[in-house]
Amino acid sequence: MGTFIQLVVDGLATGSIYVALALAIVLVNQATGLINFAQGGMAVLSAYIAYAFVQLGLPLVLAILISIILSFLLGAVVERFLLRRFEGGDPDTAVVVTIGLLTLVTGICAVLWGYNNLGFPSLFPLTSVELLGAVVSVRSLATAVTIVVIMVVLQLLFLRTKLGLALRAVADNPASAAFSGLPVGRLLMVGWGLAATLGAIAGVLVAPQLTLTPGMLDTALVYALAAVILGGLDSPIGCVVAASAIGVLENLVAVYIPLIGHDLKIAVPFALIFVILIIRPQGLFGRKVVVRV
Amino acid sequence: MSAAAATTARRPWVRIVLAAVVAVVLIAAPLVLPAFANQTLVRIGVYAVAVLGLNIVMGYTGQVNLGQIFFVGLGAYVTAYGVNQGWNILLVFVAACAVAGVVGLLVALAAARLGGLAIAMVTIALPIVGVPLAKRLSDFTGGSQGISARFTDAPEWSGLDNDQWQFYIVLVVAAGAFLLARSLVRGKYGRAFAAVRENEAVAASMGISPYRTKVLAFTIASIFGGASGFLYLAAVQYTSPETLSFGHSISLLAAMVIGGAGSIAGSLLGGAYYVFVPQLTNAIDPNLTTISQGAILLAVLFLLPGGLVSIPRVVRRLTRRYAGRSSTGRRAMARPAAETSQQTTPAHRPVPDAAPERHEQTERQDGP
Repeated sequence: MGTFIQLVVDGLATGSIYVALALAIVLVNQATGLINFAQGGMAVLSAYIAYAFVQLGLPLVLAILISIILSFLLGAVVERFLLRRFEGGDPDTAVVVTIGLLTLVTGICAVLWGYNNLGFPSLFPLTSVELLGAVVSVRSLATAVTIVVIMVVLQLLFLRTKLGLALRAVADNPASAAFSGLPVGRLLMVGWGLAATLGAIAGVLVAPQLTLTPGMLDTALVYALAAVILGGLDSPIGCVVAASAIGVLENLVAVYIPLIGHDLKIAVPFALIFVILIIRPQGLFGRKVVVRV
Repeated sequence: MSAAAATTARRPWVRIVLAAVVAVVLIAAPLVLPAFANQTLVRIGVYAVAVLGLNIVMGYTGQVNLGQIFFVGLGAYVTAYGVNQGWNILLVFVAACAVAGVVGLLVALAAARLGGLAIAMVTIALPIVGVPLAKRLSDFTGGSQGISARFTDAPEWSGLDNDQWQFYIVLVVAAGAFLLARSLVRGKYGRAFAAVRENEAVAASMGISPYRTKVLAFTIASIFGGASGFLYLAAVQYTSPETLSFGHSISLLAAMVIGGAGSIAGSLLGGAYYVFVPQLTNAIDPNLTTISQGAILLAVLFLLPGGLVSIPRVVRRLTRRYAGRSSTGRRAMARPAAETSQQTTPAHRPVPDAAPERHEQTERQDGP
């Protein structure tokens, strides 16, 4: 039982990283109808930026804050100068653009910092505490708590502020939002900025565990995409649930089903997706979209 | 001038002579070229087939596929296994295509159920799951160390070197693949692909099942991937999990877009891009490979959405614009109008009267 709880808790901690990336993907998708495949790559770049400031001798918290602000700007700039040209056009082309962006960002990281694994300092102490008979590292616990706090803040932003209302309006119907006098372009930039910020937080939280490499979040991106498919693209709650579930499930399967083990556990969410796509094509929490000609 | 040249190219006998010349050059080339050039051409052929498959599902049907390299790897592993088991080489080839095709069919059956970008989101997992899978199934794949199989050494009677023999194997398979793909995208299925890419709801209302069309296109792409994997092993004689890594999958997609989406000739250019550009950037600085790839891909999307294959068309348009209207004839004026109408409604394209002209029109379908 102790092992089980341990696995569940660890799974939730890993799952929280997927939650952050998946939320960022849903955020961009809600605002622009795109899937941003560069989300993981941009998060890695944010982590590298924080790393660079730590190397310059800044305290870790300050470096992370600077990186978060820069990531927001980066996201906004990317939307303005790269994606805007392809918004409203063929979604496939736009997706290829985000894949080009992923390659470019990975390449930038590789040129500036190389492919070697770099140690990233942890924001939280590496001690562990007893919880329900399981040993939980403070780092995992704090990571999960941080993600929850961010989710609550986001939820408040979207439901309780004017900016949130405007963002939702643009996401829902850009044309009517524009007619109502909302600055759609600027709001899209803010949406991308927020998504990049979420990615940055995921990046600096996961970097100490994985050590920093340009391809660090490629696998996490795949998990996040799986969570987004499972949860439904239009349901932030759905993807939070799905991402956490995937984190827990892969941990359990890796240990309890030796046939799959640690190396193949990434196949688990996709096996799940296959089953679910057959039964419920719109995802677990997604709305069914009616197509009109 | 360009209009006159185009008219000449449209005469059937000119096309036949051109095709014959190209065939003779291709057949003679390996005998005179140095081994390194042959090997490069062989690798271009290998990847051109993979890009061609990707083009069918992505360029023509509009379904983003990020997992094409998985099918190349699958074909390569099946080939290696079959060769080491001592199967007949034709059987090996069929098995490489069939296994890739069946796996592709299974993936597509699930992925095509979700509309929009689900195929992209599911296929991105293929190489990422594929690498640990290949390591795990070490009885078949040789694990991390990979597996090698030699079956393309030139036989004694031919008097050829190995690189020349490989060239001919790749040439035969690739030429077959290109001819097949060409007739596929110009026929009934090609029109169904275009209809689904333009608007699924419209396609459905015309009696084309978007689901079945997408599954079909994806399966065909996987079969081409399997064939490319066979050729890969013919050329490289070794495969490992590294062959089907995520980065290669993205490179393949970049090669397709840069060569020209929705274009048969673009697939060949894509294969050339896939082989040449990393060779070039590696020679300068290996760290530059990824960044240059991203930059080139984005630059092409911005400046040349039709890919390299559209350069002649762009040049023609520009020269026409600057040359003024007086020098060019009626035909030259009529052509741009036809071009725009095709680009907006390729699904309802009128059936062209002159058969050879269809060639250019098919290649012009690529979107905005």
